Amino acid sequence: MSSSEALSNSHAPKATSGERALSLYVCLILLFLALPIFIVVPLAFSSDASLSFPPHGFSFRWFVNMVNRQEFLRAAGLSAMLAVVATICSLIVGSLAAVGLVRYHFPGRDTLLMVFMTPLIFPAIVLGAGLALMFSPLGLLRNFWGLLLAHMVVTFPYCLRTSLATLHEVDKALEEAAYTLGANRWRTFRHVTLPLMRPGLLAGATFSLIISFDEFTITMFLAGPGLMTLPLEMYNYTEFSLDPTIAAISTVLLIITSIAIVIIEKLVGLGKQFS
Amino acid sequence: MNGSINASASMGGATIGAARVDLDSVKKWYGPVLAVRGVSLSIEPGEMVCFLGPSGCGKTTTLRMIAGLETPDEGEIRIGGEAVNRLPPWKRNVGMVFQNYALFPHMTVAENIAFGLNMRGTSGSEVRAKVEAAMAQVRLADYGDRRPSQLSGGQRQRIALARAIVTRPNVLLLDEPLAALDKKLREQMQVEIKQLQRAVGITTVFVTHDQEEALTLADRIVVMEEGRIVQIGAPSDVYERPKSRFVSDFIGYTNAVSGKVEAITAGRARVSTASGHAFEVPAGEGISAGDRVDLVIRPEKVVVDPANTDGLMVLDGTLVHTVYTGAVTYSHVDIGAGDVLIAMSPNAHGEAATAPGGRLRIGLRPDTMLMFPSRG
Ligand SMILES: Nc1ncnc2c1ncn2[C@@H]1O[C@H](COP(=O)(O)OP(=O)(O)OP(=O)(O)O)[C@@H](O)[C@H]1O
Ligand SMILES: [Mg+2]
Repeated sequence: MSSSEALSNSHAPKATSGERALSLYVCLILLFLALPIFIVVPLAFSSDASLSFPPHGFSFRWFVNMVNRQEFLRAAGLSAMLAVVATICSLIVGSLAAVGLVRYHFPGRDTLLMVFMTPLIFPAIVLGAGLALMFSPLGLLRNFWGLLLAHMVVTFPYCLRTSLATLHEVDKALEEAAYTLGANRWRTFRHVTLPLMRPGLLAGATFSLIISFDEFTITMFLAGPGLMTLPLEMYNYTEFSLDPTIAAISTVLLIITSIAIVIIEKLVGLGKQFS
Repeated sequence: MNGSINASASMGGATIGAARVDLDSVKKWYGPVLAVRGVSLSIEPGEMVCFLGPSGCGKTTTLRMIAGLETPDEGEIRIGGEAVNRLPPWKRNVGMVFQNYALFPHMTVAENIAFGLNMRGTSGSEVRAKVEAAMAQVRLADYGDRRPSQLSGGQRQRIALARAIVTRPNVLLLDEPLAALDKKLREQMQVEIKQLQRAVGITTVFVTHDQEEALTLADRIVVMEEGRIVQIGAPSDVYERPKSRFVSDFIGYTNAVSGKVEAITAGRARVSTASGHAFEVPAGEGISAGDRVDLVIRPEKVVVDPANTDGLMVLDGTLVHTVYTGAVTYSHVDIGAGDVLIAMSPNAHGEAATAPGGRLRIGLRPDTMLMFPSRG
């Protein structure tokens, strides 16, 4: 059943059958999206030495293997470091840029906004190759700072976007009230605008952390021996040994991400960022 | 009175911000729109001035230029004699109350009031003392820990007022601060604002498009039309001696008959109307014999069925309809040829007896009529 059929059916006065079809359709999509999870998690607890599904026995051996392998811990450390620092930098630059873009009307404003957003739609492979070519003469290739810059390029649009969304909600009169009360631009931003942008900043941080931690394509061009992020290290590992260690790592990441999303959802309502 | 701000508690002792404010040929463009077309005005220290005018006439824009939230394209603004055109709002020491109060939603009431003091680097204990005094002054002493969202409209209004004056600004600017309140609360707040303004002696500019509010509050009213000042004067001046048909219509009822000037002799013009009446009214400047004019009179100056007709010009007419407002009744009387005059009569002895369609006599003093050139 196609989506357009299901949607048009739902307009009928007694759309019960159409609505049922739509629900089924949505469920199938969700199932499809979640399918890897249903396979990965059981695999992580498999006692088999290979990635065979369904697993033949239960064990924690792949979690033990994960912890025992230095490269995974090191890579996880680098990934976490990159994600956190890139997120903080992107949030600072993103929130300030949002204020500039929303509150001040200057020529080239729309163009600038588009330029900021391009990493969202630009093919990552092109971006990665381009950055590698640019960083190479600057000595930023296979270098932490180069990696950080690259991660900022991809996380910044998310921070900017969520900042823009909440900033539109902040009444300009509040900032003007702060001005008349003696607060200059910076103090107004610090004491009025920024606190009111908190929901957007938290949402931006969530996206940014996940995007950075997950980043593969661009990182591949810039990373190197001794400078491997977790996704790269996992990919490397699968080239030589296809055992459930990867599933174990994925499961841990899944749990951490779920907890983070639940916390953020409780704090600010992540769903609002998409409406 | 029960609902009044504690005006006797002065803001910590000293009188505050009685600065003079001057506007000198101030102009402001928004793109191609000339929003303010050369406004010149001097506001005396401690005076309360109301900007009054229809929507879009440039009241808010002018106020925002005084605050520093907009920059004039031409002309000069001086506060306390000092040119402030290039001074950002945070250096002007003005207090402003916004139409929707603009209280900081992420701060408590006390934090809101303390904001301006904190920005000035006032010490912690002094801030606490002043915030408490300000909250007491607007009778919300126990509300310090609340969020603005937990307050009623009138309470928010008071907090916004307290926040604006606690820093002892040179000028207090209010942009339709009562527009969001219901009539009863609005009238009560008018009294409170006036008392507070008197008590602290602060130079105040108040924007409104409510003529009654302007008449009640202002020491002087500045009537604006399409970005220009059309008249400045005390409330009674503006009401009794409007300089133009626009001002007379904007402040009070429109109550006019049109006619033609027959002759002008000894400072009096003889105006004949289509209804066959001849009014002898004071001659105005720039009007000569033969001109088409409108004669305007306030409804309260037209008497219904006068008992004593000494010095009155008596007109016979037909009652078209009546508007009963409780305290007074407005009678619309056709005096012939479709000329309608409105007469106001107090309902001292119950409702008026005449039914619409009935004959009615009205009396007026032609002296109290104002003559303006006919429009169009
Ligand atoms: N930010 C702006 N951009 C463009 N035009 C504006 C802006 N602010 C005001 N104007 C225009 O300037 C003129 C004066 O506006 P202003 O807000 O000063 O009027 P006002 O007298 O306060 O009216 P109201 O009683 O409706 O508040 C109007 O024609 C308005 O459309
Ligand atoms: Mg306005």
